[in-house]
Amino acid sequence: METVFISKLKPFLDAVAEGMELYVPKKTGEHYVYSRYDPSAETPVEFNNIRTCTPIKEFLFPLRELAAIFPEAAEPEEVKPFAVFGLKDCDLRSIEILDKVFAEEEFRDPFYVARRENMFIILSDCSEPGESCFCNLFDGRPFAQSGFDLNVSKVKDGFIIEAGSQKGRDFIEKHSELFSDVPDGALAERDENRAETQNQLEQNNAELRFDAPIKEIVENSQDSDVFDVEAQNCIECQACTRVCPTCHCFYLYDTTQKDYFAKMKMWDSCMRVGYAAVAGGANPYKILGDRIKHRLLHKFVYFLDRYGINMCVGCGRCIDGCAGGGDIRTILRKLSEEAKGKGKKKAKIAK
Amino acid sequence: MSENPYQPVNGEIVDIIDESPTIKTFVVVPEEDFKFETGQFVELTLPGEGEAPFTPSSSPADSEKMEITIMEAGRVTALLHRCSKGQNVGIRGPFGSGYPIDDFVGKEVYIVGGGVGLAPIRSLFLTLVDRIKDFKSVVCRFGARTPDDFIYKNTLFGSWQKIKGVDIKLTVDEANGGWDGNVGVVTTILSPKDVNIKNAVAVVCGPPIMMKFATLKLLEFGFPAENIYLSMEKNMSCGIGKCGHCMLGKYYVCKDGPVFTYEQIKQYPNIWD
Repeated sequence: METVFISKLKPFLDAVAEGMELYVPKKTGEHYVYSRYDPSAETPVEFNNIRTCTPIKEFLFPLRELAAIFPEAAEPEEVKPFAVFGLKDCDLRSIEILDKVFAEEEFRDPFYVARRENMFIILSDCSEPGESCFCNLFDGRPFAQSGFDLNVSKVKDGFIIEAGSQKGRDFIEKHSELFSDVPDGALAERDENRAETQNQLEQNNAELRFDAPIKEIVENSQDSDVFDVEAQNCIECQACTRVCPTCHCFYLYDTTQKDYFAKMKMWDSCMRVGYAAVAGGANPYKILGDRIKHRLLHKFVYFLDRYGINMCVGCGRCIDGCAGGGDIRTILRKLSEEAKGKGKKKAKIAK
Repeated sequence: MSENPYQPVNGEIVDIIDESPTIKTFVVVPEEDFKFETGQFVELTLPGEGEAPFTPSSSPADSEKMEITIMEAGRVTALLHRCSKGQNVGIRGPFGSGYPIDDFVGKEVYIVGGGVGLAPIRSLFLTLVDRIKDFKSVVCRFGARTPDDFIYKNTLFGSWQKIKGVDIKLTVDEANGGWDGNVGVVTTILSPKDVNIKNAVAVVCGPPIMMKFATLKLLEFGFPAENIYLSMEKNMSCGIGKCGHCMLGKYYVCKDGPVFTYEQIKQYPNIWD
């Protein structure tokens, strides 16, 4: 069976947690963050209508991790299967992006790959896109049709659970006593919900329309002063790169332990002034505006050139997280307007 | 564990040679077989302290040991300069792609170098000289701040100059002692007559400012951008195109370089910074 129904979340989550560690969204203030599922907890797990504020990358590429021990090498710790519930389509697409970098054939990152292979992805539909959500700009949707192990859609009387992989189908089969057939009309209800959310998302971003591909706009804006203007509000807190589910720069550093030396990987940020500096003193991004420009070029031009996809999923976490009130959509809009202006100027000169 | 790209191979510094007041060559013996191509780089770890990228200055043909010429420039290099023989190190790599020597066959190889940029050039030079008959000529134009700042003095001022098929000219920014050669930056000893540009490739390695002006000069001479090979220095850290620090446009210098043609990178901002 591919698609089944369950009226309550708890028995479903309990079944998942029987087999592996399970992480679920938990509301903290206005936002959701992930926490370990506790089957005995009194408060039930809330179905998150929007993505969490923390990025999914932390499950695959933790903030800090051991990369190597020497002079005596040690086998890395075995990664046990784990599940994450409540991921959204934007999260799924961010994993696709991280896969390009860390799981590419040449030079696979063994730590990322081990976690990726052991991750059981339980997606769920979005029903309340946030003000900062703009996934529709990058072909994202508030729901996914593939790429997950299981997908959960909330309907009036319960939850529709759909398998998207062999692992997902095996799970449903193993726990078939929990599920029933999808009631009449529930799938239609799900499709209506999806369409409504999609519509909402498009309305929220109705003004965000560009006349040219974003790649072209950013690529042709290298002499723009928009980046320096944006920099005036940036306090270099690096929150944008931390919460970004696709930013993956890391810092490799050495430590001395009692009996061995270690190499550690830790998240880094291209917003940091010394990010690209070399010992000889050269630093291509001394100026904050140049770092902001590089971040956009990386996301919308260089990554696309290299891997064929944008390095942005439009999740809006950087907008929620920015302490300076920055908004990547505003930057793109300003660049787009400038590009239009330039086009007009050119046309005038041509006349 | 060989599939862990972050795992270093253990090695030992068996000799240290003073090259100039700020530059030393470290002779490193890896515990395992370690092969590289000229122009590729390695990450040298001082255990517990940190690692930094260097292009070996020895010939890849020497499989017993590797020589790494290092200028004291930052934290890790300062610590390395304080090391003694017998120091254990870690080596990761080799990374990236080096000089496409086979594409140089039958051509004049015009090498412009400055300062510690002679380190990768020495490895290239030794590789070229090993099969010198394959190349029309090897024409070197090297600069240093003062005569004392030249590295590999013994061979540079001596045996290298006597190799048939090799033409070397040197210059210093400031003369001292018995220097009777040219005084001026390296571009002052470059001439369009040095090589037949139609059948030559240029290789440039040195401090960013020198690479910039040498490249501009070569373009002015009529060298096509695709025949100018640059050994780019960026903040290469992971070595495998992931950590992001060495991005140069869409390229990762560590994985796609460190050797690029000017044609590949000329469209990108801040390449010389």
